[in-house]
Amino acid sequence: MADSTIKDFEAAIAELETIVRQLEEGDLPLERSLALYERGVQLSRYCHARLEDAERRIEVLTERGELTDAPDTLGGDGA
Amino acid sequence: MSSSLLDLFDEPEAGDDRVAPTNSDPPAPAAPAPEPRRVLSVGELAGQIRARLEREFGDVWVEGEVSNCRPWKTGHIYFTLKDATAQVKGVVFRSAARRLRFTLEDGLHVVARGRVSAYTPKSEYQLVCEHLEPAGLGALQLAFDQLRQQLDAEGLFDPARRRPLPALPRKIGVVTSLDGAAVRDIINVLRRRYPNAHMVIRPTRVQGEGAAAQIAQALAAISAVDGVDVVIVGRGGGSIEDLWAFNAERVARAIAACPVPTISAVGHETDVTIADFVADVRAPTPSAAAELVVARKDEFAGRIDQLARRVTTAIEAVLHRANSRLRALEAQAGYAGFHTRVALLARRVTELGHDLRYQIDDGLAGRHRALRALRDSLHGFDLRRRLGALRTRLVEADGALRAAVVAARHEAGQRFGNASARLDTLNPLAVLGRGYAVCWNADRTAVVQRAGEVGPGQQVRVTLAEGELQCTVTEVDTGTERG
Repeated sequence: MADSTIKDFEAAIAELETIVRQLEEGDLPLERSLALYERGVQLSRYCHARLEDAERRIEVLTERGELTDAPDTLGGDGA
Repeated sequence: MSSSLLDLFDEPEAGDDRVAPTNSDPPAPAAPAPEPRRVLSVGELAGQIRARLEREFGDVWVEGEVSNCRPWKTGHIYFTLKDATAQVKGVVFRSAARRLRFTLEDGLHVVARGRVSAYTPKSEYQLVCEHLEPAGLGALQLAFDQLRQQLDAEGLFDPARRRPLPALPRKIGVVTSLDGAAVRDIINVLRRRYPNAHMVIRPTRVQGEGAAAQIAQALAAISAVDGVDVVIVGRGGGSIEDLWAFNAERVARAIAACPVPTISAVGHETDVTIADFVADVRAPTPSAAAELVVARKDEFAGRIDQLARRVTTAIEAVLHRANSRLRALEAQAGYAGFHTRVALLARRVTELGHDLRYQIDDGLAGRHRALRALRDSLHGFDLRRRLGALRTRLVEADGALRAAVVAARHEAGQRFGNASARLDTLNPLAVLGRGYAVCWNADRTAVVQRAGEVGPGQQVRVTLAEGELQCTVTEVDTGTERG
Protein backbone atom coordinates (compact mmCIF):
# COMPACT_ATOMS: atom_id res chain seq x y z
CA MET A 1 0.00 0.00 0.00
CA ALA A 2 2.73 2.41 -0.99
CA ASP A 3 1.11 5.73 -1.73
CA SER A 4 3.42 8.67 -2.13
CA THR A 5 0.62 11.12 -1.37
CA ILE A 6 0.20 9.72 2.15
CA LYS A 7 3.03 10.41 4.59
CA ASP A 8 2.13 7.99 7.34
CA PHE A 9 -0.70 6.62 9.40
CA GLU A 10 -0.99 9.65 11.64
CA ALA A 11 -1.02 12.00 8.69
CA ALA A 12 -3.65 9.89 6.96
CA ILE A 13 -5.93 9.96 9.99
CA ALA A 14 -5.48 13.70 10.35
CA GLU A 15 -6.27 14.33 6.70
CA LEU A 16 -9.28 12.06 6.86
CA GLU A 17 -10.57 14.06 9.81
CA THR A 18 -10.12 17.29 7.89
CA ILE A 19 -12.00 15.87 4.91
CA VAL A 20 -14.87 14.75 7.10
CA ARG A 21 -15.14 18.23 8.58
CA GLN A 22 -15.03 19.90 5.17
CA LEU A 23 -17.65 17.59 3.72
CA GLU A 24 -19.88 17.96 6.73
CA GLU A 25 -19.79 21.72 6.50
CA GLY A 26 -21.13 21.08 3.04
CA ASP A 27 -20.71 24.40 1.24
CA LEU A 28 -18.43 23.02 -1.43
CA PRO A 29 -19.18 22.66 -5.12
CA LEU A 30 -20.19 19.18 -6.14
CA GLU A 31 -16.95 18.54 -7.96
CA ARG A 32 -14.85 19.45 -4.94
CA SER A 33 -17.03 17.35 -2.65
CA LEU A 34 -16.59 14.33 -4.85
CA ALA A 35 -12.84 14.81 -5.05
CA LEU A 36 -12.69 14.99 -1.25
CA TYR A 37 -14.85 11.94 -0.96
CA GLU A 38 -12.60 10.01 -3.28
CA ARG A 39 -9.59 11.03 -1.22
CA GLY A 40 -11.41 10.06 1.96
CA VAL A 41 -12.08 6.58 0.69
CA GLN A 42 -8.46 6.26 -0.35
CA LEU A 43 -7.26 7.37 3.10
CA SER A 44 -9.51 5.10 5.09
CA ARG A 45 -8.47 2.22 2.90
CA TYR A 46 -4.83 3.07 3.51
CA CYS A 47 -5.37 3.24 7.27
CA HIS A 48 -7.10 -0.10 7.40
CA ALA A 49 -4.39 -1.60 5.29
CA ARG A 50 -1.72 -0.21 7.61
CA LEU A 51 -3.48 -1.78 10.57
CA GLU A 52 -3.30 -5.12 8.89
CA ASP A 53 -0.19 -5.07 6.83
CA ALA A 54 2.53 -5.71 9.43
CA GLU A 55 3.77 -9.25 9.56
CA ARG A 56 3.78 -11.04 12.85
CA ARG A 57 7.42 -11.33 13.63
CA ILE A 58 9.75 -11.47 16.62
CA GLU A 59 13.37 -10.68 16.03
CA VAL A 60 16.36 -10.50 18.33
CA LEU A 61 18.96 -7.77 17.95
CA THR A 62 22.32 -9.28 18.84
CA GLU A 63 25.24 -7.57 20.49
CA ARG A 64 26.86 -7.36 17.09
CA GLY A 65 23.87 -5.48 15.78
CA GLU A 66 22.47 -8.35 13.71
CA LEU A 67 18.79 -9.14 13.53
CA THR A 68 17.87 -12.79 13.85
CA ASP A 69 14.53 -14.51 14.31
CA ALA A 70 13.76 -15.20 17.93
CA PRO A 71 14.14 -18.77 19.17
CA ASP A 72 10.97 -20.85 19.05
CA THR A 73 10.97 -21.04 22.83
CA LEU A 74 10.06 -17.37 22.85
CA GLY A 75 7.13 -17.95 20.58
CA GLY A 76 9.12 -16.45 17.76
CA ASP A 77 7.42 -18.44 15.09
CA GLY A 78 8.75 -16.03 12.57
CA ALA A 79 7.04 -14.86 9.46
CA MET B 1 44.25 21.22 67.72
CA SER B 2 46.56 19.59 70.17
CA SER B 3 44.48 20.69 73.13
CA SER B 4 41.37 19.15 71.67
CA LEU B 5 43.38 16.05 70.96
CA LEU B 6 44.32 15.77 74.57
CA ASP B 7 40.72 16.29 75.59
CA LEU B 8 40.02 12.90 74.19
CA PHE B 9 41.99 11.24 76.86
CA ASP B 10 40.81 11.20 80.40
CA GLU B 11 44.28 10.97 81.72
CA PRO B 12 47.72 10.54 80.41
CA GLU B 13 48.65 6.96 80.79
CA ALA B 14 51.74 5.34 82.22
CA GLY B 15 54.63 5.53 79.88
CA ASP B 16 53.95 9.12 79.30
CA ASP B 17 57.16 10.85 80.12
CA ARG B 18 55.44 13.71 81.87
CA VAL B 19 54.45 13.24 85.45
CA ALA B 20 50.79 13.65 85.90
CA PRO B 21 49.70 15.27 89.08
CA THR B 22 47.24 12.99 90.81
CA ASN B 23 45.86 13.24 94.26
CA SER B 24 45.60 9.50 94.74
CA ASP B 25 49.34 9.07 94.61
CA PRO B 26 50.83 8.39 98.02
CA PRO B 27 52.93 11.26 99.09
CA ALA B 28 56.50 10.73 98.14
CA PRO B 29 58.56 9.86 101.21
CA ALA B 30 61.39 11.79 99.80
CA ALA B 31 62.04 13.62 96.69
CA PRO B 32 62.83 10.74 94.39
CA ALA B 33 65.88 10.86 92.38
CA PRO B 34 64.81 12.41 89.18
CA GLU B 35 64.75 9.92 86.39
CA PRO B 36 66.96 10.74 83.56
CA ARG B 37 65.06 13.04 81.33
CA ARG B 38 63.72 11.48 78.18
CA VAL B 39 63.34 14.23 75.73
CA LEU B 40 61.30 13.37 72.67
CA SER B 41 61.61 14.95 69.36
CA VAL B 42 58.40 16.50 68.02
CA GLY B 43 58.31 13.80 65.41
CA GLU B 44 58.57 11.08 68.02
CA LEU B 45 55.72 12.62 69.98
CA ALA B 46 53.56 12.94 66.97
CA GLY B 47 54.40 9.40 65.97
CA GLN B 48 53.54 8.04 69.37
CA ILE B 49 50.28 9.92 69.43
CA ARG B 50 49.47 8.58 66.05
CA ALA B 51 50.26 5.03 67.06
CA ARG B 52 48.15 5.37 70.13
CA LEU B 53 45.21 6.84 68.24
CA GLU B 54 45.28 4.15 65.65
CA ARG B 55 45.50 1.42 68.23
CA GLU B 56 42.75 2.87 70.37
CA PHE B 57 40.37 3.90 67.58
CA GLY B 58 41.07 1.23 64.99
CA ASP B 59 37.42 0.50 64.39
CA VAL B 60 34.80 2.99 65.48
CA TRP B 61 31.26 3.90 64.50
CA VAL B 62 30.49 7.61 64.58
CA GLU B 63 27.26 9.37 63.84
CA GLY B 64 27.15 12.99 62.77
CA GLU B 65 26.34 15.52 60.10
CA VAL B 66 28.42 15.93 56.99
CA SER B 67 29.71 19.37 56.18
CA ASN B 68 32.42 20.90 54.10
CA CYS B 69 32.25 17.95 51.76
CA ARG B 70 34.79 18.10 48.93
CA PRO B 71 35.15 15.28 46.44
CA TRP B 72 38.60 15.31 44.86
CA LYS B 73 39.48 14.47 41.33
CA THR B 74 41.51 11.57 42.64
CA GLY B 75 38.27 10.01 43.85
CA HIS B 76 38.86 10.63 47.53
CA ILE B 77 36.23 12.58 49.41
CA TYR B 78 37.17 14.90 52.26
CA PHE B 79 34.60 16.19 54.66
CA THR B 80 33.93 17.18 58.23
CA LEU B 81 31.70 15.22 60.53
CA LYS B 82 30.13 17.30 63.22
CA ASP B 83 27.53 17.49 65.89
CA ALA B 84 26.45 20.27 68.20
CA THR B 85 29.58 20.09 70.30
CA ALA B 86 32.49 19.08 68.14
CA GLN B 87 33.76 18.23 64.72
CA VAL B 88 36.13 15.68 63.27
CA LYS B 89 37.76 15.63 59.89
CA GLY B 90 36.99 12.67 57.76
CA VAL B 91 38.02 11.12 54.48
CA VAL B 92 36.65 8.40 52.25
CA PHE B 93 39.36 7.03 50.03
CA ARG B 94 38.61 6.22 46.44
CA SER B 95 38.15 2.48 46.87
CA ALA B 96 35.58 3.00 49.62
CA ALA B 97 33.99 5.95 47.83
CA ARG B 98 33.27 3.74 44.83
CA ARG B 99 31.25 1.42 47.01
CA LEU B 100 29.02 4.21 48.26
CA ARG B 101 25.48 3.83 47.00
CA PHE B 102 24.64 7.48 47.49
CA THR B 103 26.34 10.80 47.03
CA LEU B 104 27.97 12.22 50.13
CA GLU B 105 26.90 15.80 50.51
CA ASP B 106 26.66 18.55 53.08
CA GLY B 107 23.84 18.33 55.56
CA LEU B 108 23.50 14.58 55.39
CA HIS B 109 23.20 12.80 58.67
CA VAL B 110 25.37 9.70 58.45
CA VAL B 111 26.77 6.82 60.42
CA ALA B 112 30.41 6.28 59.57
CA ARG B 113 32.59 3.32 60.30
CA GLY B 114 36.33 3.65 60.16
CA ARG B 115 39.55 4.19 61.97
CA VAL B 116 41.18 7.29 63.32
CA SER B 117 44.46 8.17 61.77
CA ALA B 118 46.78 11.10 62.23
CA TYR B 119 48.76 13.12 59.80
CA THR B 120 51.97 13.58 61.71
CA PRO B 121 53.49 16.47 59.77
CA LYS B 122 50.67 18.62 61.07
CA SER B 123 49.51 16.57 64.00
CA GLU B 124 46.10 16.50 62.54
CA TYR B 125 43.92 13.51 62.87
CA GLN B 126 40.99 12.35 60.84
CA LEU B 127 38.47 9.60 60.56
CA VAL B 128 39.29 7.31 57.63
CA CYS B 129 35.91 5.95 56.67
CA GLU B 130 35.50 2.48 55.25
CA HIS B 131 31.75 2.60 55.17
CA LEU B 132 29.12 5.28 55.38
CA GLU B 133 25.40 4.96 55.54
CA PRO B 134 22.68 7.50 55.90
CA ALA B 135 21.35 7.63 59.42
CA GLY B 136 17.69 6.66 59.52
CA LEU B 137 17.15 6.32 55.77
CA GLY B 138 18.47 3.38 53.78
CA ALA B 139 21.36 4.06 51.47
CA LEU B 140 19.39 2.96 48.42
CA GLN B 141 16.51 5.19 49.27
CA LEU B 142 18.85 8.10 49.72
CA ALA B 143 20.60 7.43 46.43
CA PHE B 144 17.22 7.22 44.75
CA ASP B 145 16.11 10.53 46.23
CA GLN B 146 19.35 12.22 45.32
CA LEU B 147 19.32 11.11 41.69
CA ARG B 148 15.68 11.94 41.41
CA GLN B 149 16.30 15.45 42.66
CA GLN B 150 19.25 15.93 40.41
CA LEU B 151 17.52 14.76 37.23
CA ASP B 152 14.41 16.67 38.14
CA ALA B 153 16.48 19.82 38.53
CA GLU B 154 17.91 19.17 35.07
CA GLY B 155 14.39 19.03 33.70
CA LEU B 156 14.44 15.39 32.66
CA PHE B 157 11.08 14.74 34.27
CA ASP B 158 9.41 17.70 32.63
CA PRO B 159 6.03 16.53 31.34
CA ALA B 160 6.64 18.65 28.25
CA ARG B 161 9.46 16.29 27.31
CA ARG B 162 7.10 13.35 27.10
CA ARG B 163 6.39 12.35 23.57
CA PRO B 164 3.17 10.70 22.47
CA LEU B 165 3.41 7.06 21.50
CA PRO B 166 3.14 6.38 17.78
CA ALA B 167 -0.42 5.85 16.70
CA LEU B 168 0.54 2.63 15.04
CA PRO B 169 4.03 1.32 15.76
CA ARG B 170 5.84 -0.25 12.84
CA LYS B 171 8.21 -2.20 15.02
CA ILE B 172 8.07 -2.45 18.78
CA GLY B 173 11.50 -2.48 20.42
CA VAL B 174 11.90 -4.37 23.67
CA VAL B 175 14.90 -4.09 26.00
CA THR B 176 14.85 -6.78 28.65
CA SER B 177 16.25 -10.17 29.59
CA LEU B 178 15.40 -13.11 27.36
CA ASP B 179 15.19 -15.31 30.45
CA GLY B 180 12.78 -13.20 32.44
CA ALA B 181 9.03 -13.19 32.75
CA ALA B 182 8.74 -9.76 31.19
CA VAL B 183 9.56 -10.81 27.64
CA ARG B 184 7.03 -13.63 27.75
CA ASP B 185 4.35 -11.39 29.19
CA ILE B 186 4.90 -8.85 26.46
CA ILE B 187 4.84 -11.47 23.71
CA ASN B 188 1.65 -13.02 25.09
CA VAL B 189 -0.17 -9.72 25.27
CA LEU B 190 0.91 -8.69 21.80
CA ARG B 191 -0.09 -12.04 20.35
CA ARG B 192 -3.53 -11.67 21.84
CA ARG B 193 -4.20 -8.06 20.98
CA TYR B 194 -2.10 -7.34 17.97
CA PRO B 195 -1.49 -10.61 16.21
CA ASN B 196 0.56 -9.11 13.42
CA ALA B 197 2.87 -7.12 15.68
CA HIS B 198 6.51 -6.89 14.69
CA MET B 199 8.82 -6.97 17.71
CA VAL B 200 12.54 -6.51 17.98
CA ILE B 201 14.07 -7.64 21.25
CA ARG B 202 17.47 -6.53 22.45
CA PRO B 203 18.44 -8.92 25.26
CA THR B 204 20.29 -7.46 28.24
CA ARG B 205 21.12 -8.31 31.77
CA VAL B 206 18.60 -6.58 33.96
CA GLN B 207 20.24 -7.01 37.34
CA GLY B 208 23.65 -7.38 38.88
CA GLU B 209 27.04 -6.23 37.78
CA GLY B 210 27.05 -4.32 34.51
CA ALA B 211 23.29 -4.44 34.04
CA ALA B 212 22.87 -0.68 33.94
CA ALA B 213 25.58 -0.28 31.32
CA GLN B 214 24.04 -3.00 29.18
CA ILE B 215 20.57 -1.55 29.40
CA ALA B 216 21.87 1.86 28.39
CA GLN B 217 23.71 0.39 25.40
CA ALA B 218 20.71 -1.69 24.42
CA LEU B 219 18.47 1.37 24.37
CA ALA B 220 20.82 3.15 22.01
CA ALA B 221 21.16 0.09 19.79
CA ILE B 222 17.49 -0.76 19.48
CA SER B 223 16.30 2.73 18.79
CA ALA B 224 18.66 2.77 15.81
CA VAL B 225 16.97 -0.24 14.19
CA ASP B 226 15.06 0.82 11.10
CA GLY B 227 11.34 0.98 11.77
CA VAL B 228 11.51 0.75 15.54
CA ASP B 229 9.35 3.66 16.64
CA VAL B 230 8.64 2.80 20.26
CA VAL B 231 10.71 1.00 22.91
CA ILE B 232 9.61 -0.91 25.98
CA VAL B 233 12.36 -1.16 28.61
CA GLY B 234 11.87 -3.16 31.74
CA ARG B 235 11.85 -6.42 33.64
CA GLY B 236 9.62 -8.47 35.89
CA GLY B 237 9.27 -8.09 39.62
CA GLY B 238 12.06 -8.52 42.15
CA SER B 239 13.61 -7.06 45.25
CA ILE B 240 14.65 -3.42 45.31
CA GLU B 241 18.23 -4.57 44.74
CA ASP B 242 17.11 -6.62 41.71
CA LEU B 243 15.44 -3.59 40.20
CA TRP B 244 18.31 -1.31 41.04
CA ALA B 245 19.75 -1.06 37.54
CA PHE B 246 16.63 0.90 36.57
CA ASN B 247 17.56 3.50 39.16
CA ALA B 248 20.97 4.01 37.62
CA GLU B 249 21.81 7.41 36.30
CA ARG B 250 23.15 6.08 33.01
CA VAL B 251 19.94 4.18 32.34
CA ALA B 252 17.94 7.30 33.09
CA ARG B 253 20.10 9.30 30.70
CA ALA B 254 19.89 6.63 28.01
CA ILE B 255 16.11 6.74 28.23
CA ALA B 256 16.13 10.51 28.06
CA ALA B 257 18.39 10.37 25.01
CA CYS B 258 16.35 7.71 23.22
CA PRO B 259 15.22 9.13 19.87
CA VAL B 260 11.91 7.27 19.93
CA PRO B 261 9.27 7.27 22.67
CA THR B 262 9.97 4.89 25.53
CA ILE B 263 7.72 2.96 27.88
CA SER B 264 9.23 1.92 31.20
CA ALA B 265 7.88 -1.30 32.65
CA VAL B 266 9.77 -2.32 35.74
CA GLY B 267 8.58 -4.84 38.27
CA HIS B 268 5.11 -4.58 39.68
CA GLU B 269 2.62 -1.80 40.01
CA THR B 270 4.09 -0.63 43.31
CA ASP B 271 7.69 -0.48 42.12
CA VAL B 272 8.72 2.97 41.09
CA THR B 273 12.11 3.53 39.52
CA ILE B 274 13.98 6.51 38.15
CA ALA B 275 13.44 5.01 34.70
CA ASP B 276 9.71 5.52 35.23
CA PHE B 277 10.18 9.24 35.74
CA VAL B 278 12.26 9.72 32.62
CA ALA B 279 10.33 7.49 30.23
CA ASP B 280 7.67 8.99 28.01
CA VAL B 281 5.13 6.61 29.49
CA ARG B 282 5.31 4.59 32.68
CA ALA B 283 3.61 1.22 32.55
CA PRO B 284 2.96 -0.50 35.86
CA THR B 285 4.07 -3.88 34.48
CA PRO B 286 5.55 -5.29 31.26
CA SER B 287 2.13 -6.69 30.28
CA ALA B 288 0.60 -3.28 30.75
CA ALA B 289 3.31 -1.80 28.54
CA ALA B 290 2.35 -4.19 25.76
CA GLU B 291 -1.26 -3.23 26.22
CA LEU B 292 -0.44 0.45 26.00
CA VAL B 293 1.19 -0.14 22.64
CA VAL B 294 -1.56 -2.17 21.09
CA ALA B 295 -4.65 -0.73 22.68
CA ARG B 296 -4.20 1.87 20.05
CA LYS B 297 -4.83 -0.53 17.24
CA ASP B 298 -8.39 -1.19 18.41
CA GLU B 299 -8.93 2.45 19.08
CA PHE B 300 -7.83 3.48 15.64
CA ALA B 301 -9.69 0.79 13.76
CA GLY B 302 -12.87 2.11 15.37
CA ARG B 303 -11.93 5.68 14.63
CA ILE B 304 -11.20 5.01 10.98
CA ASP B 305 -14.51 3.24 10.56
CA GLN B 306 -16.29 6.11 12.18
CA LEU B 307 -14.57 8.62 9.91
CA ALA B 308 -15.34 6.53 6.85
CA ARG B 309 -18.98 6.41 7.89
CA ARG B 310 -19.07 10.17 8.32
CA VAL B 311 -17.47 10.71 4.92
CA THR B 312 -20.14 8.53 3.39
CA THR B 313 -22.96 10.27 5.22
CA ALA B 314 -21.59 13.65 4.19
CA ILE B 315 -21.29 12.77 0.51
CA GLU B 316 -24.78 11.33 0.58
CA ALA B 317 -26.01 14.63 1.93
CA VAL B 318 -24.21 16.41 -0.91
CA LEU B 319 -25.80 14.10 -3.47
CA HIS B 320 -29.15 14.46 -1.80
CA ARG B 321 -28.97 18.22 -2.10
CA ALA B 322 -28.08 17.93 -5.77
CA ASN B 323 -31.03 15.64 -6.17
CA SER B 324 -33.36 18.07 -4.45
CA ARG B 325 -32.31 20.78 -6.84
CA LEU B 326 -33.24 18.54 -9.72
CA ARG B 327 -36.60 17.76 -8.17
CA ALA B 328 -37.27 21.42 -7.66
CA LEU B 329 -36.58 21.97 -11.33
CA GLU B 330 -38.79 19.07 -12.21
CA ALA B 331 -41.66 20.65 -10.34
CA GLN B 332 -41.00 24.04 -11.83
CA ALA B 333 -40.66 23.02 -15.44
CA GLY B 334 -43.69 21.57 -17.06
CA TYR B 335 -42.89 20.38 -20.52
CA ALA B 336 -42.03 16.86 -21.46
CA GLY B 337 -38.62 17.19 -23.06
CA PHE B 338 -37.19 19.13 -20.18
CA HIS B 339 -38.86 16.95 -17.64
CA THR B 340 -37.38 13.85 -19.16
CA ARG B 341 -33.91 15.33 -19.26
CA VAL B 342 -34.04 16.39 -15.64
CA ALA B 343 -35.47 13.06 -14.56
CA LEU B 344 -32.66 11.25 -16.29
CA LEU B 345 -30.06 13.42 -14.58
CA ALA B 346 -31.73 12.93 -11.26
CA ARG B 347 -31.73 9.23 -11.67
CA ARG B 348 -28.11 9.19 -12.67
CA VAL B 349 -27.08 11.18 -9.65
CA THR B 350 -29.08 8.87 -7.42
CA GLU B 351 -27.56 5.83 -9.03
CA LEU B 352 -24.06 7.17 -8.65
CA GLY B 353 -24.82 7.88 -5.02
CA HIS B 354 -25.92 4.30 -4.47
CA ASP B 355 -22.91 3.09 -6.34
CA LEU B 356 -20.52 5.00 -4.10
CA ARG B 357 -22.46 4.06 -1.05
CA TYR B 358 -22.36 0.43 -1.96
CA GLN B 359 -18.61 0.56 -2.18
CA ILE B 360 -18.15 2.18 1.18
CA ASP B 361 -20.72 -0.03 2.87
CA ASP B 362 -18.77 -2.96 1.62
CA GLY B 363 -15.75 -1.58 3.40
CA LEU B 364 -17.54 -1.00 6.67
CA ALA B 365 -19.70 -4.06 7.06
CA GLY B 366 -17.46 -5.64 9.64
CA ARG B 367 -13.98 -4.60 10.48
CA HIS B 368 -11.75 -7.53 9.83
CA ARG B 369 -13.97 -9.78 7.80
CA ALA B 370 -15.08 -7.02 5.50
CA LEU B 371 -11.60 -5.71 5.18
CA ARG B 372 -10.45 -8.99 3.80
CA ALA B 373 -13.35 -9.00 1.37
CA LEU B 374 -12.50 -5.45 0.48
CA ARG B 375 -8.93 -6.28 -0.18
CA ASP B 376 -9.99 -9.19 -2.38
CA SER B 377 -12.38 -7.01 -4.28
CA LEU B 378 -9.63 -4.50 -4.79
CA HIS B 379 -7.78 -7.05 -6.79
CA GLY B 380 -10.74 -7.11 -9.17
CA PHE B 381 -10.84 -3.49 -10.16
CA ASP B 382 -8.90 -0.33 -9.93
CA LEU B 383 -10.78 1.71 -7.41
CA ARG B 384 -9.15 4.97 -8.21
CA ARG B 385 -9.93 4.76 -11.89
CA ARG B 386 -13.45 3.66 -11.17
CA LEU B 387 -14.00 6.50 -8.76
CA GLY B 388 -12.39 8.83 -11.24
CA ALA B 389 -14.87 7.77 -13.89
CA LEU B 390 -17.76 8.15 -11.48
CA ARG B 391 -16.52 11.54 -10.58
CA THR B 392 -16.29 12.61 -14.20
CA ARG B 393 -19.83 11.45 -14.78
CA LEU B 394 -21.08 13.26 -11.73
CA VAL B 395 -19.29 16.43 -12.63
CA GLU B 396 -20.79 16.26 -16.09
CA ALA B 397 -24.14 15.72 -14.49
CA ASP B 398 -23.54 18.73 -12.29
CA GLY B 399 -22.61 20.85 -15.30
CA ALA B 400 -25.69 19.69 -17.15
CA LEU B 401 -27.68 20.38 -14.03
CA ARG B 402 -26.51 23.95 -13.85
CA ALA B 403 -27.28 24.45 -17.54
CA ALA B 404 -30.63 22.87 -16.94
CA VAL B 405 -31.37 25.24 -14.07
CA VAL B 406 -30.58 28.22 -16.25
CA ALA B 407 -32.55 26.82 -19.13
CA ALA B 408 -35.46 25.96 -16.90
CA ARG B 409 -35.64 29.46 -15.48
CA HIS B 410 -35.58 30.84 -18.97
CA GLU B 411 -38.24 28.41 -20.13
CA ALA B 412 -40.36 29.08 -17.14
CA GLY B 413 -40.18 32.81 -17.73
CA GLN B 414 -41.20 32.40 -21.35
CA ARG B 415 -43.96 30.03 -20.52
CA PHE B 416 -45.34 32.43 -17.98
CA GLY B 417 -45.44 35.18 -20.59
CA ASN B 418 -47.12 32.96 -23.15
CA ALA B 419 -49.56 31.60 -20.63
CA SER B 420 -50.65 35.07 -19.56
CA ALA B 421 -51.45 35.94 -23.11
CA ARG B 422 -53.33 32.69 -23.56
CA LEU B 423 -55.12 33.08 -20.26
CA ASP B 424 -56.64 36.29 -21.53
CA THR B 425 -58.10 34.55 -24.53
CA LEU B 426 -59.10 31.48 -22.58
CA ASN B 427 -60.73 33.29 -19.63
CA PRO B 428 -63.78 31.09 -19.10
CA LEU B 429 -65.84 34.02 -17.94
CA ALA B 430 -65.47 35.53 -21.37
CA VAL B 431 -68.01 33.01 -22.70
CA LEU B 432 -70.71 34.44 -20.46
CA GLY B 433 -70.83 37.32 -22.86
CA ARG B 434 -72.18 34.88 -25.36
CA GLY B 435 -75.21 34.07 -23.20
CA TYR B 436 -73.85 31.24 -21.03
CA ALA B 437 -74.28 31.21 -17.27
CA VAL B 438 -72.40 29.55 -14.48
CA CYS B 439 -74.32 27.79 -11.74
CA TRP B 440 -72.62 27.72 -8.29
CA ASN B 441 -73.55 25.99 -5.10
CA ALA B 442 -75.10 28.12 -2.37
CA ASP B 443 -71.87 29.35 -0.83
CA ARG B 444 -70.23 29.77 -4.21
CA THR B 445 -67.41 27.37 -3.57
CA ALA B 446 -68.07 24.94 -6.39
CA VAL B 447 -69.63 24.95 -9.78
CA VAL B 448 -72.71 22.74 -10.09
CA GLN B 449 -72.09 20.46 -13.00
CA ARG B 450 -74.81 17.82 -12.50
CA ALA B 451 -78.38 18.35 -11.53
CA GLY B 452 -78.10 15.52 -9.01
CA GLU B 453 -75.66 17.54 -6.96
CA VAL B 454 -78.50 19.68 -5.58
CA GLY B 455 -81.94 18.84 -4.32
CA PRO B 456 -85.33 20.66 -4.36
CA GLY B 457 -85.46 23.54 -1.94
CA GLN B 458 -81.68 24.15 -2.04
CA GLN B 459 -80.20 27.49 -2.96
CA VAL B 460 -77.87 28.00 -5.95
CA ARG B 461 -76.28 31.11 -7.41
CA VAL B 462 -76.08 31.79 -11.08
CA THR B 463 -73.46 34.05 -12.56
CA LEU B 464 -74.45 35.88 -15.69
CA ALA B 465 -72.37 38.09 -17.97
CA GLU B 466 -73.46 40.89 -15.71
CA GLY B 467 -74.56 40.20 -12.12
CA GLU B 468 -75.68 37.11 -10.27
CA LEU B 469 -78.99 35.46 -9.36
CA GLN B 470 -79.89 33.80 -6.09
CA CYS B 471 -82.17 30.89 -7.03
CA THR B 472 -84.16 28.18 -5.24
CA VAL B 473 -84.33 24.76 -6.87
CA THR B 474 -87.94 23.60 -7.26
CA GLU B 475 -87.40 20.46 -9.26
CA VAL B 476 -84.45 18.27 -10.17
CA ASP B 477 -84.19 16.56 -13.47
CA THR B 478 -81.03 14.43 -13.52
CA GLY B 479 -81.53 13.93 -17.22
CA THR B 480 -81.04 10.18 -16.94
CA GLU B 481 -84.60 9.33 -18.08
CA ARG B 482 -83.94 11.12 -21.27
CA GLY B 483 -80.95 8.87 -21.81
